[in-house]
Amino acid sequence: MEVNAILEEKLKKIRSVVGPDLPDSFIVRTLSRNGGDPDEAIKYILENPGFLARPLSVVRTVTSTGARVSTQFMQEDSMESEEEAKPTVQVKEEPGLWLKDRGIENRGVSLDRSKVTGTSKMTLDEFLKLHVMSDEEYSKILEEIPAAVGAEPSAKIHVKEEPVEAIAQSGAGTNARVKEEPDLEVKNRASAKKARSETENFAKSVSSNSSGMQRNGTLSNDGRCKIEDGDFPIESDWFLVGRTVVTAMSTTKGNKLADNEIVNFAFPSSSSRFNAQWIVRFSTKRSGEIGRLPMEWAKCVVPLVNSRKVKILGRCIAAPGSLHIMQEIFLYVSFYIHSSVFSDIDTVTWKLEATHIDSTMYPLLTLFKLLKITPYQKAEFTPEELDSRKRLLKLEDDPDEPTSMLPIVKRRKGSQQFADQNKDDQTLNESSLTKLVGAADMYNLDEMEPPRTLTCDLRSYQKQALFWMSELEKGIDVEKATQTLHPCWSAYRVCDERATSIYVNIFSGESTTKFPTATQMARGGILADAMGLGKTVMTIALILARMGKGCPDNQKSTVNKNVITEKKSQKSRTKARGGTLIVCPMALLGQWKEELEIHSEPESISIFVHYGGDRTNNPEVLSGYDVVLTTYGVLTSAYKSDGEFSIYHRVDWYRVVLDEAHTIKSSKTQTAQAAFTLNSYCRWCLTGTPLQNNLEDLFSLLCFLRVEPWCNWAWWNKLIQRPYENGDPRGLRLIKAILRPLMLRRTKDTKDANGRPILVLPPTDVQTVTCEQSEAEHDFYDALFKRSKVQFDQFVAQGKVLHNYANILELLLRLRQCCNHPFLVMSRGDSQQYANLNKLARKFLESNTNSTTMEPTAPTRAYVEEVVDCIRRGENTECPICMEFADDAVLTPCAHRMCRECLLSSWRTPTCGLCPICRQMLRKTDLITCPSENPFRVDVEKNWKESSKVSKLLECLEQINQSGSGEKSIVFSQWTTFFDLLEIPLKRKRIGFFRFDGKLSQKHRERVLKEFSESKEIKVMLISLKAGGVGLNLTAASNVFIMDPWWNPAVEEQAIMRIHRIGQKRTVRVRRFIVKDTVEERMQQVQARKQRMISGALTNEEVRTARIEELKMLFR
Amino acid sequence: MANSNLPRRIIKETQRLLSEPAPGISASPSEDNMRYFNVMILGPTQSPYEGGVFKLELFLPEEYPMAAPKVRFLTKIYHPNIDKLGRICLDILKDKWSPALQIRTVLLSIQALLSAPNPDDPLSENIAKHWKTNEAEAVETAKEWTRLYASGA
Repeated sequence: MEVNAILEEKLKKIRSVVGPDLPDSFIVRTLSRNGGDPDEAIKYILENPGFLARPLSVVRTVTSTGARVSTQFMQEDSMESEEEAKPTVQVKEEPGLWLKDRGIENRGVSLDRSKVTGTSKMTLDEFLKLHVMSDEEYSKILEEIPAAVGAEPSAKIHVKEEPVEAIAQSGAGTNARVKEEPDLEVKNRASAKKARSETENFAKSVSSNSSGMQRNGTLSNDGRCKIEDGDFPIESDWFLVGRTVVTAMSTTKGNKLADNEIVNFAFPSSSSRFNAQWIVRFSTKRSGEIGRLPMEWAKCVVPLVNSRKVKILGRCIAAPGSLHIMQEIFLYVSFYIHSSVFSDIDTVTWKLEATHIDSTMYPLLTLFKLLKITPYQKAEFTPEELDSRKRLLKLEDDPDEPTSMLPIVKRRKGSQQFADQNKDDQTLNESSLTKLVGAADMYNLDEMEPPRTLTCDLRSYQKQALFWMSELEKGIDVEKATQTLHPCWSAYRVCDERATSIYVNIFSGESTTKFPTATQMARGGILADAMGLGKTVMTIALILARMGKGCPDNQKSTVNKNVITEKKSQKSRTKARGGTLIVCPMALLGQWKEELEIHSEPESISIFVHYGGDRTNNPEVLSGYDVVLTTYGVLTSAYKSDGEFSIYHRVDWYRVVLDEAHTIKSSKTQTAQAAFTLNSYCRWCLTGTPLQNNLEDLFSLLCFLRVEPWCNWAWWNKLIQRPYENGDPRGLRLIKAILRPLMLRRTKDTKDANGRPILVLPPTDVQTVTCEQSEAEHDFYDALFKRSKVQFDQFVAQGKVLHNYANILELLLRLRQCCNHPFLVMSRGDSQQYANLNKLARKFLESNTNSTTMEPTAPTRAYVEEVVDCIRRGENTECPICMEFADDAVLTPCAHRMCRECLLSSWRTPTCGLCPICRQMLRKTDLITCPSENPFRVDVEKNWKESSKVSKLLECLEQINQSGSGEKSIVFSQWTTFFDLLEIPLKRKRIGFFRFDGKLSQKHRERVLKEFSESKEIKVMLISLKAGGVGLNLTAASNVFIMDPWWNPAVEEQAIMRIHRIGQKRTVRVRRFIVKDTVEERMQQVQARKQRMISGALTNEEVRTARIEELKMLFR
Repeated sequence: MANSNLPRRIIKETQRLLSEPAPGISASPSEDNMRYFNVMILGPTQSPYEGGVFKLELFLPEEYPMAAPKVRFLTKIYHPNIDKLGRICLDILKDKWSPALQIRTVLLSIQALLSAPNPDDPLSENIAKHWKTNEAEAVETAKEWTRLYASGA
């Protein structure tokens, strides 16, 4: 090993002077001739210019006669030599290749050295000289060779049963009877291992072609069959890629092969199944099938040959006298690539499909590797480097960090029922996220002054972000970029110098002969600052600072355009050139528009909101504005109906910004696909939580950003996802390295260069308020608990806890609701609302009788009556879409009931759509809200009683009110029905409030938020978590009441962030309500446990049992 | 991973399909992907497909129930609205999809399509032409194919 290392070093040194074209073997030999001194060797090589000549300039006209000399083949040899000496038969080849030495070991047979030395005519040195000589000298020696060969038979070689002794002899001396075992590895070790006898064995390298033989073989010894061993003509269309010796395996036995005999390869038909498709057999004309190629070669050769762009020719060298089955056979194989690949017309990249066994194995790359052709310009990073521990990327080692994140909870079979629960389970909390993606404590970024059109002041860290974003948008200098090889590509040169360079994308396997420039690299990144740092404002500053339309022109002036870019810009010429497209969740649409208007100088930018029923479908309209706002929903539905010809895809954007970009975390969804396929010069992801559930979320973002090679699933999976899941820290380290230049993430704790926090917010004061149930409340809870526990214990006894997860969650849901207010779990049914319902029924029937004449599909009176009756009885029906009991049910004019949410989301436009049941056209305004004000058995209004939680809340609210500070409060709950109940005491106590939940339309949402922040009278807002979890800015309030604990603390955290963010001037008081001795208290423990689970302290098996334990804990 | 965020609706539908299967139809989810169903439909009586057992595959896309399931015949069938790849021409699987439809209703519709081929809206031009020019002969071919490919082996 050590010897090898030293040798390697010497080799490198020599190469640095003489260049990469000489083969290793040659240098090694030169080295050994010069006593192992690299400097001497260099001198030697330089003094013999023949070595450094380009491959084609060397005309070799000698065959490997010496090696093949034997009595039997005498005749042939001399003839061959003569013929080849004729000027017409010029076999061109690279000097180094034929020099490849073969260490030949004497096995079982040893040669008496002294005798051999005596009889052989040429020493090793003479032989070497031969290779070194110029052409004239060559031919001189050539004349000698037949003579030498002719003398051969007389040279008696005695084979003795003596210990092995080295013979440093030319092949001329070795007898054919000596069993030769060429060892390719000897190349590197030759000089070190003296014990090994070395014989020069000249691989006869001829550019060969089985179809076009110049000269067919001569007679073999028995004179009956022809040995096909002639030369192959040079075909102008095929360029030599390289030659090498391949060790193949025989599948037949007998005396079948002769040295230099041409072998023909037979490739499996593409219809061959399974492993048969990788079997490449070879045969000779004389004896038929001989053997097959080794798998590693076959796998790269088969697809290459099938592509008709590559062909392979070969012959046998050092043929064993008699073949055994499974014996190694040495083939000297030449690879050619078709010139059409290099021709100018054929500019499209060609990509050979990777083998299906490993989709990251690419034939062409494998071939280069096997041929030991190294790229003259290497890709910046290679899979091997990424995969090995010796890594180019400088990743600091912090061992504790990855392990704390591993392993992420793996999902297993049988857990599908967890459905919604799973989401929460896997959400990473802020600190683990920070650990994972590494919120830098300090970024040494320059600041950039915002454009004057920005009307607000930026904080220092925001100016840094602006600088960072603009730099990323500029990308590297275009001039430079066009001359820089794209980091994923390697450049290769083949042997034939007529061929231009071949560029291979080492990650995608794509090959091209056009220079792939770095211009097509991703512009943009992920702005992942924690919530509340003002991502919106930073983005607005960027938009104002760098206005643009479409794809800037500078690319067109570049000479070396990449194929891909070229194609794209051609397509784009017909497209409208748009400004910035911002895609955000519906809830944030208004906020974006407002902030864009507030923060920019009037008329500095034009804004267009592309949303709503009657939106335009003309891309020219969109491109007329600087900023276009839309929602994920609209983008997705446009993509769904028109694919890549949707209005958004027909515009070439300057910049696309995805707000709350984790919306596209599942790369296979239509929404994600719609985003991926947008055409844009710059791409940005804004998200406070780039990772929500698992690492895969990031993959989707990288896909959108088109970060090569990570947007290729195979590579992502191989180098990141799988290692990560298997607990290999390299996956994590790699993703960190990838993200470092692409992602900016600061948290509220990030310090600036002076060690001060970048953002100073008023403190938060979080307290848990423990409520004690009244006796009546407790009795009710107890009864419910006991009933649930019986059911749960049954599941445990049957060992079916995990199979009944959904049922168990429902039991728990009831218990949790009971903690808020027992009314919530009382069965539905009513006594008092009849009057209202009758009114409703009448109105309903009237409106329908009016329209019956026009609409034949209108429901019959009897049906409507039945439905109304049903509602009257309080019977809730299953929503036909989500198949749950309808929540916030609406009644359509055609008398069908379903969840409002389900119905609206089934529509393509927000204002109208078809009834899913009868396909009647419905307008949103026609929908009738099913009476749900009173879904309780008891008449809550008459029998109103405060629960302990409600009392505590009211107490707090009144206190705030009396303090006269004018502070506003937000009340969060998971259940809108709880708000229905809360309305009663709030109204009675004349506490003004707003409600903000799923029922609000976008317009109303905006209005409610605006009024709440401006109003002096109304100081309370009830927000359902699902509606108000993300993006909202609620800094007008400073009190937060979390009425019920969530499974996932991260969700609570996010809710608090809505209030505790930039713009908040007061201390934020958070009150979490927990009812003592109930499931809520135990949920707290589970939450703590979950934290441990999320941070990866538990293994998979533990997680599974943990689930059951967790549930048992709740039912204790 | 495929089974992780399985919506409640799919779970419910699956349970119902298994507990109360529709007559002549069986559908069971694949073990490793709960969105993929192996379906068998018996050829309806009084149709050329009577006596045949037809295998189909059904896949619920990510957007389901807002998007239609993808259904395909695996068993070769001679039918004007089904092509040689087993693709089915049925409006509710395309533009007429409604989220109120279910796996069960889709499969029932396909069963009904077997009873009532509609050569006026063909997917397989040749078969449809055959059906229109010589219905008796086309029906015979369909019967023959049923015997050949769907004999329940």
